[in-house]
Amino acid sequence: MVLTKAFKECLGCPFIVADMERNLVIETKGLTKYYGPHLALEDLNLSIPHGATALLGSNGAGKSTFLKTILGLIQTTSGEGTVLGCDIKTQGVEIRSRIGYMPEYEALNPDMDAIHQVRYSGELLGMNPVVAMNRAHEALQFVGIGDQRYREISSFSTGMRQATKLACAIIHDPELIIADEPSNGLDIKTREFMISTLNTMVNEGKRSVLMASHLMEDVERVCDNIVLLHKGKLAAQGRIEDLKAIEREIEIHVWGKATPLETLLKDRGMKVRREGRVMRIAQSEQDTTSAILQAAHEVGAQIRRMHEYEASLEDLFLAIMENLGYEVKSSEDLLASPVQARRVDAPQSMGGGAS
Amino acid sequence: MTDEEHRPDAPVTGQARMEVAWGSSTGDETEAEATASLAKKSGEIFEQQYTSWNGTLNGRWMRNWAILRHHLLGIFKKGNRPWGMPTRIFLLIAFIIALSDAALVLVSSLIGSPEIHAIWGVSRDNLYGHILGYFPRNTLIFPVVAALLVGGVISEDRNHGTSALYFSRPISRVDYVGMKYISVAIIQAIIIIGSYMLYFFAEIAAHGRGWAWMLDVFPMFLAGGLCGVLLIVTYTSIGLSLSSVSKGRFFPGIGLLAILFGTKTMAIIVRNLFDRELLYLISPYDCVAHVGQILIGTEPTYTQYPWTFSLVSLIAINALALYVLSSRVSSMEVTRE
Repeated sequence: MVLTKAFKECLGCPFIVADMERNLVIETKGLTKYYGPHLALEDLNLSIPHGATALLGSNGAGKSTFLKTILGLIQTTSGEGTVLGCDIKTQGVEIRSRIGYMPEYEALNPDMDAIHQVRYSGELLGMNPVVAMNRAHEALQFVGIGDQRYREISSFSTGMRQATKLACAIIHDPELIIADEPSNGLDIKTREFMISTLNTMVNEGKRSVLMASHLMEDVERVCDNIVLLHKGKLAAQGRIEDLKAIEREIEIHVWGKATPLETLLKDRGMKVRREGRVMRIAQSEQDTTSAILQAAHEVGAQIRRMHEYEASLEDLFLAIMENLGYEVKSSEDLLASPVQARRVDAPQSMGGGAS
Repeated sequence: MTDEEHRPDAPVTGQARMEVAWGSSTGDETEAEATASLAKKSGEIFEQQYTSWNGTLNGRWMRNWAILRHHLLGIFKKGNRPWGMPTRIFLLIAFIIALSDAALVLVSSLIGSPEIHAIWGVSRDNLYGHILGYFPRNTLIFPVVAALLVGGVISEDRNHGTSALYFSRPISRVDYVGMKYISVAIIQAIIIIGSYMLYFFAEIAAHGRGWAWMLDVFPMFLAGGLCGVLLIVTYTSIGLSLSSVSKGRFFPGIGLLAILFGTKTMAIIVRNLFDRELLYLISPYDCVAHVGQILIGTEPTYTQYPWTFSLVSLIAINALALYVLSSRVSSMEVTRE
């Protein structure tokens, strides 16, 4: 994908596209973390506003380290940060009381009933046992498995386990929910429900969600903002709409003489991507539409359809990662085979699967 | 729409389709109250409702109490930590066997047999034997109880990923491991020290012992209790450290038994073959037993080395176990294992 000047400015530097509201749930300044000689986070300046935000990045980008840092579980090497106004260095306990964390991996005791597992997770926050039980009923009802709450977790499907993990995270109605791959491994119906549940939390509950995911489609449906990490650095940050607006293209469907048209457009300095009869031409400051029509007229190509193409978040993510020199799989690949699909060509030391 | 417009020879204007899509062109002019129709019911009774919660969260001790209660109550009732049924049954059997001397004290009183009482009644050796006797208590009962209890306490958190449930909440690793340690130790204490106390009270109740006897025997009783604490702490430390390096409950359980019996067997073999008792210093049981014999005042099994060697060795064994435990627990992850 071609990258405009403004888009390139967005990469490799902590460039904030839009003026974010100062109502920030997470803010970091110069956050740096070394594991021995390995640099995991480098000078991270983040401003995550209230609402739903996606935390993106290929494997080894520093997402897990970032999450552990903001949970106050590991000490930063330098820099500072706040979560819900609490210092990540000194107020880890306070932070973990006010957030709800939904881990990506299994985090449930398979031999316990869902209701007791969720109740216990509430008690671990300091809830009174009776109150925790009442809230466990409400939370499980909210995530859609109220009628299954007395079943053993070992008999649950993946979707029900994900729902139970979410119930554990939201039992105390936290101000910020950190969901690590919430829709991973779910079928379409369950995935829809998970997405709508997160949306309900944001829209009705007025809660904030920080969602780490590889599924861009889900991210786009839940989140307004993204934070993209790459090699421990901030690669991009801002509102999804604003980031997508940076890269605008015109899509045309050509009938006949497609190759001469492509050549002519490229000769005239336009950036063209082509797949069969479909071409996408990057919009320039000049009148791109007229230039395309003029070129088509000159080579005798028919343009059957022409419209402005709005890139999806996935296009955006792939473009950024491509620009940074990494191959990343698409959502389809991820859904088809989550483990294999997450292999990126990053070095193994960074968590990539390249040999 | 009128019937006239539906005649076969009527011109095709698309009017009918428009009217189907947008409503009739006639009759819409009359003023009528516009009402929105109710949404169709799909038959699904689930309705997602967000319910906020504004309660207060209690402090550290409430959270720690939750961990402790979760593990302790799991032995007795559902809804807490699910201890396996074989474990629960064995704990019951162990408790009953541990009370065998108390039962015989009662029997000796009931049938008035001084011979039985002479063998099983409260004495210096019997108080020692209740806690630290090697066979059958420290071969068939107490180590197996410890192995069954400590086996999965931490390893299953690793295996199931439930460590994330603790560490993503305001639970420190010290509180996490401390509460688990205490809860496992309490369950062992119910069997070892609880049965020891019942044995002592059975003697008082069955034989009508007075204050003078109680005051006389009480230091020995306390020393026995202290030996019980030493035994429980040692077994728990070693067991939990093994549990913290594992992902299953089998290895820590078998590992604990292998350490206890293996070192003891080695010590016996070396003593018999070379007439040297040195190797008992690596046997946790022998070290506790040696210290216990001195505390209670019975004749020591090992005489070549002073009891302080055993005490130092015991401290070293526990320190090593706790070091492994703390370093492994501090490396437990929230994001993935």
